[in-house]
Amino acid sequence: METVTIDPITRLEGHGKISIFLNDKGDVENAYLQIPELRGFERFAQGRRAEDMPQITSRICGVCPVAHHFASTKALDAAFNVDPPSAAKKLRELMYMGYFIYDHTLHFYYLGGPDFVVGPDAPPAKRNIIGVIEKAGVEIGKEVIKHRAYGQKITAILGGKATHPVCGLPGGVSKGLNKDEVKEIEKMVDSCIEFAKFSLKLFDEIVLQNKKYVDLILSDPYQLATYNMGLVDKNNKVNFYDGQIRVTDQKGEEFVKFDVRDYYKYIAEHVEEWTYIKFPYLKAIGWKGFKDGKDSGIYRVGPLGRLNAAEGMATPLADKEYNRFYETLGGKPVNSTLAFHWARLIELLYATERAKELIKDPEITSQKIRNPVGEPGEGMGVTEAARGTLIHHYKLTKDGLIDKANLIVATTNNAGAINMSIREAAKGVISRGNVSNATLNMVEMAFRAYDPCFACATHTLPGGMPLEVNIYDHERKLYKTLRQNL
Amino acid sequence: MKKTKTIVVGVGNKILGDDGVGIHVVNQLRKQVKNLDVTLEEATTGGLNLLDIIVGYNKAVIVDAVRSNNGEHGVVKRFSLDNFDTMHSCNPHDVSLIEAIDMAKKIGENRIPREIVVIGIMMRNIPSEFSECLSDEIAMTVPKAVEMTLNEIKKDNMRKISS
Repeated sequence: METVTIDPITRLEGHGKISIFLNDKGDVENAYLQIPELRGFERFAQGRRAEDMPQITSRICGVCPVAHHFASTKALDAAFNVDPPSAAKKLRELMYMGYFIYDHTLHFYYLGGPDFVVGPDAPPAKRNIIGVIEKAGVEIGKEVIKHRAYGQKITAILGGKATHPVCGLPGGVSKGLNKDEVKEIEKMVDSCIEFAKFSLKLFDEIVLQNKKYVDLILSDPYQLATYNMGLVDKNNKVNFYDGQIRVTDQKGEEFVKFDVRDYYKYIAEHVEEWTYIKFPYLKAIGWKGFKDGKDSGIYRVGPLGRLNAAEGMATPLADKEYNRFYETLGGKPVNSTLAFHWARLIELLYATERAKELIKDPEITSQKIRNPVGEPGEGMGVTEAARGTLIHHYKLTKDGLIDKANLIVATTNNAGAINMSIREAAKGVISRGNVSNATLNMVEMAFRAYDPCFACATHTLPGGMPLEVNIYDHERKLYKTLRQNL
Repeated sequence: MKKTKTIVVGVGNKILGDDGVGIHVVNQLRKQVKNLDVTLEEATTGGLNLLDIIVGYNKAVIVDAVRSNNGEHGVVKRFSLDNFDTMHSCNPHDVSLIEAIDMAKKIGENRIPREIVVIGIMMRNIPSEFSECLSDEIAMTVPKAVEMTLNEIKKDNMRKISS
C-alpha cells in the first residue's frame, strides 16, 4: 500500500498530520487526519474551585475562548442549580454574537475565502488575505479589519477582555451595560449588519456566479452524506447560545432532539489506535467505520451542520439567505463540504441581526444580572462554538470543587467527517499515483472548510500554514514529497 | 496614561506547562522593571491579536517558546522577526504575525513597530499536557530570557536618554 502524508500544521511541532494510503494501483484507499490532543485536562481541573472553570477553560484554546467560557458558565448554572435572570442571558448572548462576528469574519476573509476569491489554483503565496486585498481592493481590506475589530470590541465591552472574558458567573454575569455602552455597541452592530450583507454579496458575485466554483462545490469529492447536529431554539431555528441539540438525517428530517443533560445517552465516542482523538458518533446508529450514509453514526457540526440540523434562521435577512442556500444547492440537506463557507456567511448575517435585536431590547440595561446559586451538584452546558457544538460537563464536590470534568469540543465532533472529507478530496485528485501540487490545496480545502481548531496552544509566528505531502509506494517507501510554506 | 515606546509581550498558554514560558518571563520582569519606559503584556494567540497588541509602539519584544528543529532544548536565542522561521505551535485559525503585518501595511497602517525582536526559548517538544508549572529544564532558562529581554529594553531606553 502507498502512503501520502500531509503535515498541515507547521514543520515545527510535528503534530497534526494527514496520511493518505494508496493501493497498489496508486489510487486512494484511505486517509487519516492525526490531530494533537492535549492531555490531562481532567486531572488539571480536579480539585479546583468550580467558579474558576470559565476562566480556566477559556485558556484551553486561544481560538474559542468565548465559546469555552460560556459552555463552562452554563455547565455551572446547571451544577449550582440556578437559572440566570433573563437580562443576564441576553447579555451573554450579545457577547456571543460579538465572538461570532469576529470569528466568522476572520475565517471567511483570511482563511477559507482566499481559495475562492484568489482561486484554488493560485500559487500558495497569493492564496491569502494579501491576495484577497490585491484582488478585491484595499478598501475591502480596511472594512474586514474594521469589522473584525468591532466584533472583538463588542466582546470586550461585555466580557472585560476579548480574548479571555471574565464576565460569566454561575447564575448570571458580573457586569451589565450602561446607556453609553449600548449606543456604542449599536453603532458597531449597524455597521456589522451592512458588512455581513456585503460579504454575502461578494460571495454571490465571486463564487455563485462563477460556474466553475459552483461545479466545484457540488462535485463528488466534496460530498458527504452524514447526519447533522446543531443547537436549535423552540422553533427549530439555529441558535448559537442556547436551546436543544437537534440531529437530522440524510433526508433532512429530525432524527433526534435532546437536552444537553442527556448527551451521553445519544453520543458515544470511538477510539482508534492511530490517534488520541476520540470520534463521537450517534449511539443509536453505532460506529461503522469512516463511512457516511444513514447506517453510520458519524455526524457533522459547524455552520453547515447547524443549518442542516435546523429549519431556518431566527432573523429575517439570514432566513431569506437560508432559503436561497437550499434552493441554489439542490435542497435539504446540503452535503457539500465547501458549502460550509456560504453557511458561515449566513451565520455571520444572523449574528449581526441577532445582536441588533438584543441591543435594542430594553432589558439589556437591566441591573438584575445575577441570581443566587444553589447547592453544588452535577451540570452540563452546551454552546455552539463557531466551529461546532461544544459540551462541558462537571461533577462538583459538596464544597463546590471540581470532582470530574469532561469536554466534547467542536473539532472532535467533526473529526470523523473531516477524515472522510480528506479521503474523498484525495480520491478526486490522486489517481494512479499521479500527484500534482494542486493536490495539496484541493485536499487542504476539504479540511479548511470545517475551520478546524486543533485544540492546541495557539501562538503561531511563521508565515502561512505549512503543508507537506509525503507519498509512499505500496511498500511504504518515500516516493514523492510536496510542500508549501516550508 | 502615556504610551511607552517599547512593549514586551510574553506569548503562550499559561496552563500548558512549558508552553507558557513567555508569560513566566514577563511575570518575572514585572518584579524587576520599575523605572524603565516599557509596557509588559501577555498574549495567548499569535497573528492578528498579537499585532493589535504591539501596534503603536516603536519596538516590540516577543518572548515565546520556540520549537527547535535540531534537538536544542532549554537554550535562549534572539531572533529578528524578518528572518524568523521557527516559532512554535499551531493555529490554523489565524494568520501568522508576519502575514498580519503585511496585511496591515497593505492597508496603510503606519503604526507598526519599527523593530520586532523575538526572544525564543528553544524546546525539543511541544507541551501537550495541562500544568501551570514549568519543567525544571525550562524553568532554568527564565533568568537568561529575563536578562536578554532587559537588554533589549535597556538598549531602547539608553537610546532615548542619549537622544
